[in-house]
Order: sequence, then C-alpha cells, then structure tokens
Amino acid sequence: MTIVVAYKWAANPQDAQVGADGAVDLSRAKPGVSEYDPVAIETGRRLADATGAELVGLSVGGPQVGTSMARKAALSRGLDRLVVVADEALDGARAATTAAVLAAQVREIGDVDLVLTGDGSVDEGAHLVPAVLAGHLGWPLLVDVTAVERAADGGLRVTRSVGAGTQVLEVDGPAVLSVAADAVVPRVPGMKDILGAGKKPVAEATVGQVAVSEPAVVGRKRPALAQRKGRLLTGADTAAVAAELVAALRADGVL
Amino acid sequence: MDFSITEEQELLLASVRDVMERACPESYMKECNEKGEYPQALVDALTEAGLTTLGVPEEFGGTPVDTQTLMLVAEEITKLGGPHFVFGQALSIADMLEFGNDVQRRQCMDEVLAGRVGFVLGFTEPQAGSDSSAIATTFTRRDGKVYLSGHKTFMSNALRARYMLCLARNADGASDEKKTNAFSMWWMPMDATGVTIEPLKKIGWHMMDTCEVYLDEVEVDEADLVGVEGNGFMQAMINFEVERLLMASSLLGMAECAFGDALDHAATRKQFGKPIGSFQLIQQKITSMAIKIENMRNLVARTAWKIDNGMPVQTDSALAKLYCAQSANEVIDDALQIFGGIGYTTDCRVSRLWVDARVQRIGGGTDEVMIHIAGRQILKEHTK
Repeated sequence: MTIVVAYKWAANPQDAQVGADGAVDLSRAKPGVSEYDPVAIETGRRLADATGAELVGLSVGGPQVGTSMARKAALSRGLDRLVVVADEALDGARAATTAAVLAAQVREIGDVDLVLTGDGSVDEGAHLVPAVLAGHLGWPLLVDVTAVERAADGGLRVTRSVGAGTQVLEVDGPAVLSVAADAVVPRVPGMKDILGAGKKPVAEATVGQVAVSEPAVVGRKRPALAQRKGRLLTGADTAAVAAELVAALRADGVL
Repeated sequence: MDFSITEEQELLLASVRDVMERACPESYMKECNEKGEYPQALVDALTEAGLTTLGVPEEFGGTPVDTQTLMLVAEEITKLGGPHFVFGQALSIADMLEFGNDVQRRQCMDEVLAGRVGFVLGFTEPQAGSDSSAIATTFTRRDGKVYLSGHKTFMSNALRARYMLCLARNADGASDEKKTNAFSMWWMPMDATGVTIEPLKKIGWHMMDTCEVYLDEVEVDEADLVGVEGNGFMQAMINFEVERLLMASSLLGMAECAFGDALDHAATRKQFGKPIGSFQLIQQKITSMAIKIENMRNLVARTAWKIDNGMPVQTDSALAKLYCAQSANEVIDDALQIFGGIGYTTDCRVSRLWVDARVQRIGGGTDEVMIHIAGRQILKEHTK
C-alpha cells in the first residue's frame, strides 16, 4: 500500500505582518510546511504504521520547494520518502496548475492507494487543490476527514465531520482525502527525526508537459470591516445593566 | 567567522517553539507560579518531543548533540517565557551517567525518560555554600550497611525527586588528609527512613520547590556508592563549566523575553500623545538592553564553540555566567522600568522574570566565586 501526502511549502502565518488597514503582508514570513499539512502527514503516518504502507510526501512549487531545508522540514514529520517538483515555472502556481502537476506525479509514483491533503493552504486558502486533483485522477474526494483506518474487508473506513456530527464511509479503491485541520495533533519533530530526515530518499521530478487553462485572477477585495455600534451600557444597578445587555443582545438576534 | 546556525538547529528550534506554543502559554506559567506548582504538563510535552533527553548519550535513550545546540534550546525556552529548570537534564545527570553503576544509571534514566527529575543534587549545606569542601554530612559503616547523617539545604526538587546524589565525608576521617579526597557520592532514595524534607519559602522560583533536607542515620548499601570512594568532590566537578554556561544561556533567554515584552510595550503604550518608545530616555534603555543581550549571546556562543572544539573554558564559562547573570538582571530591571506600574504587578510576566533572575547571581556559583575563578586564572595566564 502506498499513501501519498501532498503538502505545500508556504509562508508561515505567524511571521505575517498585519497593517493598520488589515492588509496581511507575508513577504517577510519564513517558509515552512503549510500550517494544516502536518495534520495530513500525521494522519498518513498513523495509517501507514497500522497498515504497513509506505508514506510518500509530494510537493510541487518554485525552487524553494526543493531546498535542503524544505526537504528536511517535511521528512522530519514522519514521511518515508519525498518526491518534489521544484521549478521556476511553478513559482506562485495556483490551484489548477498545482493539481495537474500533482496528479501527474501521483501517476508517476504508481500504485498509489490514497492521497491525503491538508485542509487548505495558509496563504491562498482556496481549498481547490484536492478537488481538482481528484478530478484529474478520476478518484472520489472526501473532505473534512477526521479519521481514516483500515476496514475489516481491507478497504478504508473514513470518518468525516458533517455539520455538528460525523459521517462514516467505506472506501474501496483509491481516493483523495482532504484532512480536517483538527483531525489529529501532529507530532513535534525531535532531534532524531530531524537528523534522520537528511538521510531519507528524495526524488526530484520535472514538470513535464502540463497543459492547464488557469483562470486569471483579475481582482481581489477584502471584506468590509463591520461597523461596531459602540453602545455603552452604564448604571449603578449592575443587575439592571446585565438585564439591559441581555435584552439588547436578544434584540440583535445574538442570543 | 560564521554566526549562522545549521538547518538541523533551525528545525529543532522550530520544534521547541511548537512545544512552547502548545504547552507553555503565559496563562499556564502564571497559574503555576501563583499556585507554586511544578509545570509538569510542559515537562511532559518537552519529554514527548525528546527535548529533555537532548545531549544524553544514545545508549541511555537520548540524542547526542553539541554544546551549541544545547545552549540554543535553553535560550529558546526561556526566551518564550518558560522556566529555565525544565531543560538541561543531560548536564544535571552527567555525574550519574559517568560514575553510576548500571542499576543507578537505569533508575536515574527511568526518572528522566518519564519526565521526572533524575535526582536531587545533595551538595549544599548551611555551612557549605560556595565552599563545598566544608560539607559536614557524614557516612559511616556499621554491620555491613552505610549510614548517612547531616543537613542539606537549598535542595531543588526535593519534594518531587525519588533519589538524591548525596555528597558526604567519611565519619571515620581516614581519608581527610586532603580535603578534596574526603568525600564520596551516595545514591540515596528520598523516601528512605531518616529523611526529613522541609520546603523553604522564597521570593521567586515558585514553580520549583527548594528545601531543607535532614538526614538522620539514613541507611544505604555499599552498592549505593557512586563512582570511587573518596573521589566524590572531583566527580562533582566534571560538569560545572558546561552547567554554568547553560545557566548563562537560560539567562540570555530570560533577558530576551523581557526585552521583547518591553519593546511591545514601548511601541504601544502612549503618554503625552505618543508611544513612550519615541522618548529618548526609553530609547536609551532599549539600546543599552540590546547591547547587553548581544554581548551575552556572543559570550555564550563563543564559549560553547570552544567546548565543542575541545578547548579549555574555565575562564570563559565563569565570565559568561557572571556577565549573563548580572546583565540579565539589569535588562529585566530596565524592562520593568519601561512597563512602569503595571510591570510591578503579577499580571505582567516581567515581574516574574525579575524575581526569578535574581537568584541566578547566587546559585550555580555566586558572582563573587565567578570573579574568583576568572580573576586568578586571567592573572595566572598573564604571568606565566
């Protein structure tokens, strides 16, 4: 069994600078394995340990994806080996291109049973790659996955978060699973993991021929900041003020 | 001259930040400090990530790293507001791993691997602070057993640790001709009959207990001797220089923690219509703090580099410990001054750093002892 985890090497949002106008500047943020992708890697590691599968990391992007630092950072999180496509042509690539290159590499790896992805990248956050990837592969896509385990018949039993509850599905055959951000708590790589990461195999692949019609982004707009009412409730009688607060919240439909 | 750190060190520090973010929010530190509770959840998280056994030889379940890496991790933990004592087990247990027998080493490592304290370091006594050779606790042999009697003080973690590495002199005085040959190390269970523990009340370091420990005819076996009889004092000295550097590194992190908080406050606190950081007297403090932090970092890094390259650091580690202890206290005091009144409240973590840092000019070798060590060595090297 081979499990692939597709992950992104992206800016760390904790280094983001937020301007007074709410604009987020990631230009000085250090790159790292995208915020939610370690959850997918951890989910894959646990499944691989339970089933004896091989866990392969797969990442595509600009040259920075192939740096020694990027490789070690991903491999230290529990992947067995890595396939990277690091190419200038993919610098800043968006969902359609990224998914097409990922799909080509999944086919190239061969005999892949499962592709796991994170909930979404922290920079763009379009949540499109898993769907487009599944479309290219012709495989089913399950999103908001909170658990995956081997079923009694050898297939996979997948638990999804659905609204306030969960849904359990049995999957027979290859699939793409988008793992919920809170599915598991990813392990913190220790020094042994970090030292071991430098010794794990990494294959460098090329972009190849990818003909993708990528929709052009022609505009972006931030949501308008909600105007606060700025209403102040005062009074010596705290019980009366509390009652007034509750009434006001009810009137606004908050309670 | 290369001041960069390796990719592995950078990734390790990212892991430290990860653990600290998950297990060491300031609210948790504040709660532990107010309740006088040991931050076990933080130690457990550090243990799970393999950080508490960093620097411990592989054969004992650890991950060997160089001194530079140990110092970087110690600095990062305190820089992020964590207490210094949650890291550095590799150095504190070095005596046991070097001189203990298989049983003693296993017992010690079982504690460390479970996120507990390896042992209480039973050296200091009321009359033997800086002068360790004045230790008066004795061991005496009777009917095939060994009995320990005496009074140990400032015993860190005595309420929690299961063992003490007890330094004691031979009651028969047979080996007292040379002071340094008079002592032996004994591995003593803290729950043994005759052990009485009384916590001390301190002005800081509330998260870790510090106690008086009274030993009244505590019975141990001959097999509980650690290392060679009569070599206890020299055995205890093997790691002092690296331990001093670890303290210096933790102090550097504490200073950086206070510095970061002070910068945030200076940038956001407005008086007379503008941020207080725009006033030159505040900028003077910030500049002075930055210079001291840079000096601390350079001293620690260079001394660690010398250790990793097999060079002697007797003077360097004393200078680093002395300078970092004094400068960290000055930086943290300046940070408290920048905060003003709010800095003197327990809502502000700078107040915790202020009381916690003060003892570091005393513990692990006082400022005066560091000057004694460095001063005579510098003169000796000059005149040879």
